Amino acid sequence: MQSRRSFLKTSAMTAGALAITPSFSKIFAAENKNKIPHRFIFIRKSNGNIPSQFSLPSFSDVQKKMDSSKKAFEADLDKHELPVFLRALTPYKEHMSILHGISCEMSEGGHWSYSSPMGAFKSGRNSLSGIKRATIDFELAKLFPSPFGHVELSLTGSYSSFRTGIVSGYSAPAPHQRNYCYADPLTAYNELFKSVINPGAVDSDNSMLKFLEEEEAKNIKNLKGLERDKLSTHISSIESVQARNKKVQKMSGAISRFLPKLDKVHNNGGPNASTPEKQEAMTDILIAALSTGLTNVVTYTIDELSTPIKGLPGNEGDHISIHEVGHNGGYSGVSAEKIREKIKTGHIAQIEKIIKKLKAVPEGNGNMFDNTTIIYMPETGAGHHGPQNEMPMVIMTGKNSKLDMAGRYIRLPFHATEGHKTLGNWYTTLLNLYGNPIKHYGDLDLTMSRKKLDQLGPIKQIMG
Amino acid sequence: MFVKSYILLLSLLLISTSAAENVFSAKLIGSLKNYCYDCHDGDSEKGDVRIDNLASLKLSDRLDLLNRLQEQLYIGEMPPRKKKKQPSEDERREMIEMLTAELKKYNASKLEEKLRRPEFGNYVNHEKLFSGEYTHLKGYTPDRRWLISEFIFNAKINRLIDYKPSKTIDGKRVPVIGENNRKVNITNPFLLPTNSGVRYYANETLNGGHLLTMITNAKELADYMTYQSNRNRNYLPAATEIMAMENSHNSTLDSRQKFLTEFIDVICGELFKDKNESLLPKFVRIEIPDASKSNDGKAVKKAAFHAANPGKTEMNIIYTSMKKYLPGNISDQQLIEKCEKEWFFAGHDARKIRARVVFMNGYMDDIKKNMDKGYNKNARPPVYKKPSAEQYQIYAEAILKHRKKGDHYKQIINKCMTDWADQFKQERIKAGPPQLSIVKELVDQLFVKIYERHPSPEELNSYSSLTNNYIKDLGNLPAIEKLIQTLILRSEFVYRYEFGNSGADKYGRRMMSPRDASYALAYALTDSSPDQELIKAVESGKLNSREDYKREVIRMLKKRDQFYIIEEGLQKERCDSITNLPIRELRFFREFFGYPQLMAIFKDQKRFGAPYDSARGRLVDEADLLVAHILENDKKVFETLLSTERFYVYHTGDNKAMDAYSKRIREIYEYFKDKGWENFTKAEDLAPHAEFIDKVKMRGIDTKRLKKDRRYNPLRAFQTAMKSFTARFDKGQKAAAPYNSFPAHGMANAMSRTGHRLSDPQVAKFFNIDMKNWNYEANQPFKIAHRKGMLTHPAWLIAHARNTETDPVIRGKWIREKLLAGTIPDVPITVDAVIPEDHHKTLRMRLVNVTEKPECWKCHERMNLLGYAFEMYDDFGRYRTEESLEHPDNLIQKRPDKGDVTEDLRNVYKTLPVNTVGSLKGTGDSGLDGDVKDAIELADRLSKSTRVRQSIIRHAFRYFMGRNEMLSDSKTLIDADQAYLESEGSFDAVIVSLLTSDSFIYRKAVKE
Repeated sequence: MQSRRSFLKTSAMTAGALAITPSFSKIFAAENKNKIPHRFIFIRKSNGNIPSQFSLPSFSDVQKKMDSSKKAFEADLDKHELPVFLRALTPYKEHMSILHGISCEMSEGGHWSYSSPMGAFKSGRNSLSGIKRATIDFELAKLFPSPFGHVELSLTGSYSSFRTGIVSGYSAPAPHQRNYCYADPLTAYNELFKSVINPGAVDSDNSMLKFLEEEEAKNIKNLKGLERDKLSTHISSIESVQARNKKVQKMSGAISRFLPKLDKVHNNGGPNASTPEKQEAMTDILIAALSTGLTNVVTYTIDELSTPIKGLPGNEGDHISIHEVGHNGGYSGVSAEKIREKIKTGHIAQIEKIIKKLKAVPEGNGNMFDNTTIIYMPETGAGHHGPQNEMPMVIMTGKNSKLDMAGRYIRLPFHATEGHKTLGNWYTTLLNLYGNPIKHYGDLDLTMSRKKLDQLGPIKQIMG
Repeated sequence: MFVKSYILLLSLLLISTSAAENVFSAKLIGSLKNYCYDCHDGDSEKGDVRIDNLASLKLSDRLDLLNRLQEQLYIGEMPPRKKKKQPSEDERREMIEMLTAELKKYNASKLEEKLRRPEFGNYVNHEKLFSGEYTHLKGYTPDRRWLISEFIFNAKINRLIDYKPSKTIDGKRVPVIGENNRKVNITNPFLLPTNSGVRYYANETLNGGHLLTMITNAKELADYMTYQSNRNRNYLPAATEIMAMENSHNSTLDSRQKFLTEFIDVICGELFKDKNESLLPKFVRIEIPDASKSNDGKAVKKAAFHAANPGKTEMNIIYTSMKKYLPGNISDQQLIEKCEKEWFFAGHDARKIRARVVFMNGYMDDIKKNMDKGYNKNARPPVYKKPSAEQYQIYAEAILKHRKKGDHYKQIINKCMTDWADQFKQERIKAGPPQLSIVKELVDQLFVKIYERHPSPEELNSYSSLTNNYIKDLGNLPAIEKLIQTLILRSEFVYRYEFGNSGADKYGRRMMSPRDASYALAYALTDSSPDQELIKAVESGKLNSREDYKREVIRMLKKRDQFYIIEEGLQKERCDSITNLPIRELRFFREFFGYPQLMAIFKDQKRFGAPYDSARGRLVDEADLLVAHILENDKKVFETLLSTERFYVYHTGDNKAMDAYSKRIREIYEYFKDKGWENFTKAEDLAPHAEFIDKVKMRGIDTKRLKKDRRYNPLRAFQTAMKSFTARFDKGQKAAAPYNSFPAHGMANAMSRTGHRLSDPQVAKFFNIDMKNWNYEANQPFKIAHRKGMLTHPAWLIAHARNTETDPVIRGKWIREKLLAGTIPDVPITVDAVIPEDHHKTLRMRLVNVTEKPECWKCHERMNLLGYAFEMYDDFGRYRTEESLEHPDNLIQKRPDKGDVTEDLRNVYKTLPVNTVGSLKGTGDSGLDGDVKDAIELADRLSKSTRVRQSIIRHAFRYFMGRNEMLSDSKTLIDADQAYLESEGSFDAVIVSLLTSDSFIYRKAVKE
């Protein structure tokens, strides 16, 4: 029979159920009581990151040349001006890294990449059978357990309207499993902070579980051997969920302290909320989910191609399609390039807010951001639908980060050349640094394989 | 020195031996000394294993070692077979028992659990099973709960929510099973492992991970089921009745809201007459930027109409309002203003109004052009029809009560709605909770819906009482939802029940209840609950005997009126992936051969020399077609699967249709070949051929526009097609493969059975077909050179290879375990199974260096010699005589990265000849065992082997029983083998034999 302890261990990172079932106690609380966890925030964006837009405007001619010809080099950010859309992060340059030269050829490609950029595999057009492994966020969540294990938020839609409620996510807790995610701020708010907002619902869940436990117990009496084990495992699981529900209720003090305030515009899925308003609200929830200790890992799809962009400053009346912007379509006299920049500026404003707010929460001898890593990444490489031989990212790391890359503009060797690093190398770096000694995470790059170039393991030059 | 060391060693041995004797029985120590110490004492320590110091090990290490000893003895790997000194069968059994007893003291014995796993199935001695010496043992399956599979889970959910998918197959819309594109957001937690071989066993336990996922699923399902009961009163009649009053109130509220939204301006006009407008807020127009000017001085490409419109709902509002004022003598700006004013007074969200106005300003021409197209023509201003006097009174009273000066219409409506909703709520409170009788009906209906049975009287009372508590605490709707969640979370929903039910025979065996039997039979062949015939058999007492089982199994095996989706993932790859065979019959061979696993193996497109990713789905689909074809013939099934030389390549399985598609291309080619089409320079050149073009439906040419539209010029499409068609015949080819001439949406040269374009002709390249000189065979399967059976099918070869090279070890292991009923121990944890790189050698040469060392060869000789024969194929399954040494240093010719699908884009490297000589050992037939020159000879011999046939039957047993065979299943296996032989190789006969065997019919209580 499975003990409660082993149940917690086996189920801790199971499935999106954890991410959406609101009532969980602190998994492994005892094991981690005195250890400050590290937190990871993955911000996924659509439409690619065009490498030239991540170049620094104050580069010297030599640097410009190296940058445009994709030659490996590094530069100190504090000696340079940031591109316009990144300027909000100027006060945080010491935490910032602009990382070029990571490729993602092993992920899906095309307009959408689904789970693939988080798992370094091709997801077979979003088919379940294509999900080859637990995605990086779930792998990291295993290293830093928490009541929810992992939280996924997404602002996606069907071009004209936003999705709402609890919907399929892009992270994967295990092979062939798709996570759930919260698609609108109010749903995320209600589900994540249920123990404070609606304690009656948690009690009601527990009554139901108690009844179920008693029902199953009636059937176990005459069973022996494996058959007995099958039922007793289930009973033990039911007991454990109840116990966790109770524990999370005890966290209500912390939850109340960090509970964000949501504007009424987000009621009923927020049909009239603008995209920036939705992003703001989701960011508030993300910050609260981390600050309360409900989770240590959040994956936030800030947009995908079908996310409607409404209420963008300067284009307030336009209903912008990111897909159209990807094909160079402009709105109200504003060019696609400018709109791209404004969209990214909005994203970066969210990152700034996260840093600012986490810095305001004391933790250990410093603050919560000290133990946080933010990864701002495109789902489709270097453009609207690729190429995938590059995927510029912005990484923000707190001072206790084990990554050694803060304050630097880093351009690694270009794809399929000696020393090039792939998404798999990048994720292996994160895992190795934070306690998973895996030799290599993710599928291999087959062009690198054909060229017999070494591509296994972490990126040593950024390991602290 | 030597003497000193010897004395010291002897003393140590004595100490450890004496310590061990304190812990273990002298008998066990004696046996270990006798058979094991030679190699595993402090002197030799072979394989880093030392046994003579057992007692001095710390407990965890000792238990670990004891488990390894127990397993090695059980599986006969130790003492090594080459050793002359072997324990007798009794001695071996006794040693195992003693080890097991010792392990059980600490509840640490792992062997029992391991032996239940599929990968340990072959450890039951094959010769004993088929010797006939054990047929007196009575077959049975232990009483069991069997956790549902991912497929059964999907079927259950679809049944529960009444999701009935259908598909167009061969031009007709037909229901299908296995498509799960439902709108409810459900996560399937019951996923099967992804290995080759039997995957679905009754060993799995409902665990915490399943429960957590099911908690969420239960909420989603409860939400959807109550929604369904509101839409369809036959879905859950008791729920509909309990909710009747509330639903009626909601419906009234909805209709009032709709009426007021459409006509409040009319009613207010009537009620307030000329004062009405003064009571409305002051209309102020929204300021919008001038979109005609570039914001940043650069030329701006304007977003397309479809990409700028604010969505279907918003467009409907825009068109509805516009049509109120059109046609009329009104400018665009006046029109926009009128619409804006209407929306402003109505109280629409200011942002939405802004978006509409911005859009109308920017795209008025397009808006007008599309006004009566598609959905837009349904947008019409509502026609006011005065409500009844009573209804009018209700509206009037509420409006008069709530309207305040400056209110938008929406604010008035909201206040009215709140008022009415409160009134209705009071009515419901007054009516009291639902009566017990209807609650009981609800419980009964939900039991039937979720468990497909009625509740027992105790269950009925218990769940009715629970429901009443839920109603008291939560209210009607949440209570129904909670009850649904409770029932879905009970283990009954996710376990299959297979328990003996009748009186026990003298061997303690019982038959299953007819109900359990009906599920066991249904799930043996399908993923669905029992069909109507099975239900009838249960109800009429006709599922109580072996004959009854036989009748139903034969009936289900013959059934061809139900289509199944074989694999949803393949459909996303533009494949049909359909069958009307009983799905689990086909799935057995899919899983047994494991060829679908190729979908998880990604390869470098450049190395394939054509688009690989899209072709792999077609390859699996066509492997499925071949298996289905052989099963449909049902003669010498195993032999044919292992030795057929006929395959499907770029085909749908419909010979007639494929022939017609191919002939159509010939017809076009023949018609135009002497008409100088290469010299056509303008669209009009096509005009004289319009009739023919229409007849053969040439892609991309609309003959009606040829003359009318001067800008229309389909000449490029025509000439691209003709160039491609000509290339398919100009080398004297007999028939053309009917693939697309150029990438485009829509109509294609060949269509799949489900009505999609048949894509990815480059699948031919896996079979070494030169696409530049392809003699397409429409009548398939057809003979292909250098191929023999499924093991030479590229799908199997890729699935059992690596990303960049072949894998003789894994291919050999597959044959040893799946076809020769052999065993291969796990790779020792100390072994790093890596083949060293050396770009001057073939893979086989490199493999020999690392696997043919004596300590490795013990296991590798059971695999490599079988796998080497397949070196006649590369890792894409292409036949070869030379191995390409793919390394930049060996590059001879670099070819372009992009090109026509018929081109070979592979780079050319230096090569070395492949050595395909292998050896077959283990068939038990001296006429078959021995060296083989290649995979063709190996496949031929395997297909003739009795042991291979029996091994497949053993796997079929595991598949249909969900467990490993025991000696008491000997008669079942022999009978199935005989059934196969007597029926001239019918797999149906094997299934009938297995599903009517004692092993399937009888159940026995678990003792321990």
